[in-house]
Amino acid sequence: MPATLNPEDLDAEQRAALEELLFRLADDEYVHGERLIEWQIYAPTLESDLALANVAQDEFGHARLWYDLLEELGHTEAELIWERPADEFRHATLVELPFAEGDWADVILRCYLYDAAERLRLDALVDTSYAPLADRVGKVLSEERYHLENAQSWLDRLAEGDSRDRVQDALDRLFPHALSLFAEPDHEEAIIDNGFRTMSTADLRIEWLETVIPYLESLGLDVPEPDEVERPSARGRDGTHTDHWDELAAEFRRTYEELEAPEPARIGRERV
Amino acid sequence: MSDVSADDAPDATACGHTEYVDGAVPEGFPKTGVGATGVEADIWDALYEIEDPEMPVSIVDLGLIYDVRVVEREGEDGEAKTLGIVEMTLTYTGCPARDYLENDVQCAILAAGVDEASVRLRFTPEWTVDMVTEAGREALRKFGLGV
Repeated sequence: MPATLNPEDLDAEQRAALEELLFRLADDEYVHGERLIEWQIYAPTLESDLALANVAQDEFGHARLWYDLLEELGHTEAELIWERPADEFRHATLVELPFAEGDWADVILRCYLYDAAERLRLDALVDTSYAPLADRVGKVLSEERYHLENAQSWLDRLAEGDSRDRVQDALDRLFPHALSLFAEPDHEEAIIDNGFRTMSTADLRIEWLETVIPYLESLGLDVPEPDEVERPSARGRDGTHTDHWDELAAEFRRTYEELEAPEPARIGRERV
Repeated sequence: MSDVSADDAPDATACGHTEYVDGAVPEGFPKTGVGATGVEADIWDALYEIEDPEMPVSIVDLGLIYDVRVVEREGEDGEAKTLGIVEMTLTYTGCPARDYLENDVQCAILAAGVDEASVRLRFTPEWTVDMVTEAGREALRKFGLGV
């Protein structure tokens, strides 16, 4: 289906479905970036410090592109990021968790699990029916490729020798939260029927499992059985989050609140 | 962003370790304002004056400008207004100078004498170094960058 739909073409149901899809995209990228920057100055080599900084910058860039599309639908940056109640964020709990104290295996494994999912999700948006989204997906996909390569090249190294136990611990801890990436949206049917996304969330989950499980097992790791792992009570996608999220949200908003809601540095940007 | 056509399908060329990928330049790019007339030509001239924040090269020669057009529409007071529209891209999505660039472009449009200005970001086709013009390459070489 060619990308022919624009904001003015949407009825209320289509708009609600599209917004749910966009909030997930934007919030995942934004919160993942927020956590990654905590590694600044702590990464184990200068190159990996720069790499992670670069990945975080990309994720913020992508979050901005997705929040832009929500702004085109009438939202404002203040409302989307700085003043939205924390329990209205729709990111998966995977990206909000603090890192296990100084654990490089945690950040690398998290990046791998997340970036593998992100790649599949974006692939399923390349042929979206929504024109403003179609315009941006290719650019974001090409920037994401390096993220996955970076994570895998580190995982290959960490899985050799003693550090494999740390990767295994991180996997046991993070895997249940990674599954929350694939909670079915409330508007799943409308998202598919309107061609906003061309693969169902259930199929994305299957494809992700078929990607990450063989790879992680090839590194000698035991992957928890997806249907048997104990799922956290916080699901992320429905607005329920771990306590860590409230702390992180308060932290990244502190300066905004101290400066009493500064206007972003732009003049009269017009959306027509 | 309301007029992206289906012809603008993303170009899937990329390499692993850099955003500045080599790729075929899509038909009609880079856009340089050749053949533009009237107010549109004036907007192109003003855009040539805007330099990239990191390198002494015009954003037009960098290949960032995707379209310039002037349309007429009815203002709130019922009078006809001219609206200058610039479609542009960014070299990468995390560009920290995006707001500054958009503001500069906004000012360039208004300086050409239209009533209203609109800057729209587009990411299809994806920007590549091959979209840098010959004049842009020359400016970058002088700056010490080979492209």
